[in-house]
Amino acid sequence: MAGQRLTFHLAGINNQNFLMRDEETGTYWQQISGLAVSGPLKGRQLTLVLSDELTFATWKAEEPQGTVLKDVPKYASEYESKDWDVRMKRVAVVIRFPEHGLKPRDLMLGIQAFGASRAFPYEEVIKEKLVKDHVGAEPVLLVVAMDGQSVRAFHDRIPNVDGAPDFYRMTENTPEALLMDAATGSVWNFRGCAVSGSAKGACLERIPMLKDYWFDWRNYNPKTTIYGK
Amino acid sequence: MIAAPQLKRWTFMVVMLVSMLVSLACVVYPMYVIRPFRAQGAGELAAALAVARFRGITTAACAVVALAAVALYWRLQTRRWLRVLAAAGAGFVCVLAVLARVNVYELMFHPVDHPAFTAADQVKLDKDDKLLVVKINGEARAYPIRTMGYHHVLNDIVGKTAIVATY
Repeated sequence: MAGQRLTFHLAGINNQNFLMRDEETGTYWQQISGLAVSGPLKGRQLTLVLSDELTFATWKAEEPQGTVLKDVPKYASEYESKDWDVRMKRVAVVIRFPEHGLKPRDLMLGIQAFGASRAFPYEEVIKEKLVKDHVGAEPVLLVVAMDGQSVRAFHDRIPNVDGAPDFYRMTENTPEALLMDAATGSVWNFRGCAVSGSAKGACLERIPMLKDYWFDWRNYNPKTTIYGK
Repeated sequence: MIAAPQLKRWTFMVVMLVSMLVSLACVVYPMYVIRPFRAQGAGELAAALAVARFRGITTAACAVVALAAVALYWRLQTRRWLRVLAAAGAGFVCVLAVLARVNVYELMFHPVDHPAFTAADQVKLDKDDKLLVVKINGEARAYPIRTMGYHHVLNDIVGKTAIVATY
């Protein structure tokens, strides 16, 4: 931030979205938005780094040279169990938005882009495997990986190709041949890059996406629309 | 008509009580408002964070004031039990000043002070274990969600860029 490296600490909770405090300036920051909410840097915004939530198998296949955070042995016994997400579903909430028949802890894939925010029910996306939709006025594509759990979002436009590409999922799909588009007949992988065909080498623009509980997403995106509702 | 020493004793006692109440408010109010499983209103959260930001310096100042007050009170007061009571009060203000510096959230969820990493082909994870992943300037990094669900915050440098991973 402004040439200074900030070191963040867990420092509180705001309606079940946590607050961080940086030790250099003592400013408090909201986790979901990266916005400084109190302190000398109030109003400043951390830059969002594009990130994914992937299964180990999918990530390792893409990044064999990557590195993984080690457990801290002292605290490993306190880490979440493998079924933590099932357990979390039952944890009480303090704010509720009973709209569209959604429960507070329904998992959503949230996108803030093109001047709009839109939430996609996670289970629905997993079921459909390929979602073609719009955020604001722009076409987007949500793609489920071979593992049936990891999801990425893309701007549904091929660079230097006019019009909608019209993607579909290949029936005999592999991680490197997941989708095909009708406009160029190219084959695309889960990274959103064409691996063969006339678009080979081109990559779709990635759109940041947040997996979040409905109550939290809705709290920070009051104007959100919902896919399928 | 109150005698001068008696007036002074009262003054020191009041000063110490005020120090105690201010310190107590500095410690208790943010903890009361910013606690899990309680809805936080925007106004009270802003107030609690403002108190939290200044609680360190405020409680330290209160401790100094309370210690000075008790020292002066001790000289004017001859009754032993009142002296001891005043000293205990000042001690309590000092304890509050220490408590104001304790991050209870990091007692519940300890931070990772020195993050260490394993190569993707060496790490023991299940195929379906979920990871939070980034790739910056060609460097790929993954944070297992079960680990991050405990620590919540991790300060890291990936691809020569300082980032904070949160979950």
